[in-house]
Amino acid sequence: MTGSFAALAPVIPTPHIEYGQLSPMLLVFGAAIVGVLVEAFAPRSLRRSLHLALTLGSLAGAFVLTIVIATSSTLFAGGSAGHIAAMGAVAVDRPTLFIQGTILVLAFISVLLIAESSHDVSAFAAQAAAVPGSPEEREGLLAGISHTEVYPLTLFAIGGMLLFPASNDLLTMFVALEVLSLPLYLLSGLARRRRLLSQEAAMKYFLLGAFSSAFFLFGIAMLYGFSGSVKLGAIAAAASGNTASSVLLYAGIALIGVGLLFKIGAVPFQSWKPDVYQGSPTPVTALMASCTLVSAFGALLRVFYVAFGQLTWDWRPAMWAVAIVTMLGGAIIAITQTDVKRLLAYSSIAQAGYILTGVIAATTAGLSSSMFYLAAYGIATIGAFAIVTLIRDPGGEAGHLSSWAGLGKRSPLVAGTFAFFLIAFAGIPLTSGFSSKFAVFQAAAASGGLPLVIIGVISSAIIAFPYVRVIVLMFFSEPAPDGPIVVRPSAYTSLAVGVGVLATLVLGFIPEPLLRLAHDAAAQLFVR
Amino acid sequence: MSPAHYIALAVILFVIGGVGVLVRRNALVVFMCVELMLNAVNLAFIAFARMHGALDGQVIAFFVMVVAAAEVVVGLAILTSIFRTRRSASVDDANLLKY
Amino acid sequence: MSYYVPVIVLGGLAAFFAIFSLVMGALSGPKRWNRAKLEAYECGIEPTRQPAGIRFPVKYYLTAMLFIVFDIEIIFLYPWAVAFDRLGVFGLVEMVTFVATVLVAYAYVWRRGGLEWD
Repeated sequence: MTGSFAALAPVIPTPHIEYGQLSPMLLVFGAAIVGVLVEAFAPRSLRRSLHLALTLGSLAGAFVLTIVIATSSTLFAGGSAGHIAAMGAVAVDRPTLFIQGTILVLAFISVLLIAESSHDVSAFAAQAAAVPGSPEEREGLLAGISHTEVYPLTLFAIGGMLLFPASNDLLTMFVALEVLSLPLYLLSGLARRRRLLSQEAAMKYFLLGAFSSAFFLFGIAMLYGFSGSVKLGAIAAAASGNTASSVLLYAGIALIGVGLLFKIGAVPFQSWKPDVYQGSPTPVTALMASCTLVSAFGALLRVFYVAFGQLTWDWRPAMWAVAIVTMLGGAIIAITQTDVKRLLAYSSIAQAGYILTGVIAATTAGLSSSMFYLAAYGIATIGAFAIVTLIRDPGGEAGHLSSWAGLGKRSPLVAGTFAFFLIAFAGIPLTSGFSSKFAVFQAAAASGGLPLVIIGVISSAIIAFPYVRVIVLMFFSEPAPDGPIVVRPSAYTSLAVGVGVLATLVLGFIPEPLLRLAHDAAAQLFVR
Repeated sequence: MSPAHYIALAVILFVIGGVGVLVRRNALVVFMCVELMLNAVNLAFIAFARMHGALDGQVIAFFVMVVAAAEVVVGLAILTSIFRTRRSASVDDANLLKY
Repeated sequence: MSYYVPVIVLGGLAAFFAIFSLVMGALSGPKRWNRAKLEAYECGIEPTRQPAGIRFPVKYYLTAMLFIVFDIEIIFLYPWAVAFDRLGVFGLVEMVTFVATVLVAYAYVWRRGGLEWD
């Protein structure tokens, strides 16, 4: 953005772009564009392996670059909180780098699930354009082909997710929001089996997502009208020295809040989450439940800590209300669910409520505990969805809970692992679920949020009930004679499950190293 | 005409679009209402740019238009595929996903 | 907390306006339907009914969508073209990068048969 009437000066000064500090995002976007070229020119037989190398390689490379930037001595020299790169568009600071690193790790594991090809050709449609039930579709299924466009689409979405929490102005944040959302709308409609459900999920996600991004954008317009800038720092400055009418400011906060709370799936903006989680291909659900949640919370934290940091007392009452209904609503509706993916979706809604209690604290402890929670929950939820891909019947995945009856007797290892993830989600001690919940509740209580903590504990007790019911169903009921089969996972899925179990255990027993890392990252909050 | 009038018009258009999303049944019309909301925001941006005497708002409107076009293409692709399957674009007919 | 009052008032006004327009439209609008009014408007000519069950040719639609996307992307070239001499080499390099990105999308469309009419 050139901005203001400086554009009329004879020579426009060259903007300064710190390519080195933006390199993780540039690498991911670059790999996505190369992926499109692979799709255009590589023969079909080579495409999958090329994409896989490109996708996993670029994600690993971006993670290494993130670590290099985070440990660079010049960027944080003299106790600096960070640097605002690209003419004020992108903030490079420690919380952002922590969040981006988390997203890259979670994305890498999700891509392993996307690449799984042993129990079906892939989780994705052979030809998305062929009508379900048509001869063309059957032809494509028999030929064993599958859309490999999912890899570049995933990379574009991940690139958007990296930019979303790093955006230092609201226009960049809006563009990042769309760059992460548009590929996800398409990915959620590409399931190989149960394509009607998948298409319906895509339509609901798209219509509601577009609706919410219009609110987000209108909020940006209000704040631009209020402060004359879309930079977070300028909005904060205008808000703190504000003497004039604040209607624009408060309308802007509310509308931006709606857009961001929609993305994290907080009640009352949660209606898309169960439908989209159930209908989407399960690897895509895992990507959305982990990476999108981390990214959206990162953006929420930045906007509310940087731009509205002086107005904590104004937005806190509304956020309290949202957190309370999210924690209770997610937990109570979870009780009635009969589909395992919907159950995990409502679980994710309740978890978003717990993380919100950390966000509301608006302190360094709130920021660090939220980031720790996101990392711990993200990795466990990918593991849980990986298990869901293994329980299959002739129509694809057997999502209905009745077909999970007696799973523990037929396949104790798979059922035991799933039970372990449920125990972690319930927040039982010696799992990451306990240590992360303890951290956010501690941060919330320390900043006057004791009622929120009490409601959080009640909600955890309520949501433990559906989890225990699933565990009882798996281990103490008789398997149905025509029950689903448990497929043997290939290396990809095994790795995703293994990493999930290991991280959940390690973060439960010795959470200190990651907690300390999150704490150090949050020490100076976001760069302003 | 002061820019404030344009802001008021933008708010009215945004509300019309929002109500349309909530009450209309046809997915295409719902989608057009979302586009109306985005265009209302563009009008607000340009009016605010005029009020502040800066060009930023107009540049933002460019970006919003491009993003909206990308959204149209993605959205229409999804809506066409669902229409070809069901021969219906009503959001009430999309009712397989519940409980 | 008192800052919430204007927001609530604004929300109330918006809700009132929405409900008022819907109710007034339903109550005051004339409801004299006839065949001609319910028919699709086709620039004044008699509308011809699409035979049921026959696929609408999708070729035109795909081309139109591709046109929209590529057409709108070019919006960024206008401001650059206006000030291109004053933006210098940096502006040129950035624009070439941008056009190359659009070209990648074009290559994909071309190779995957998106531009074939039949």
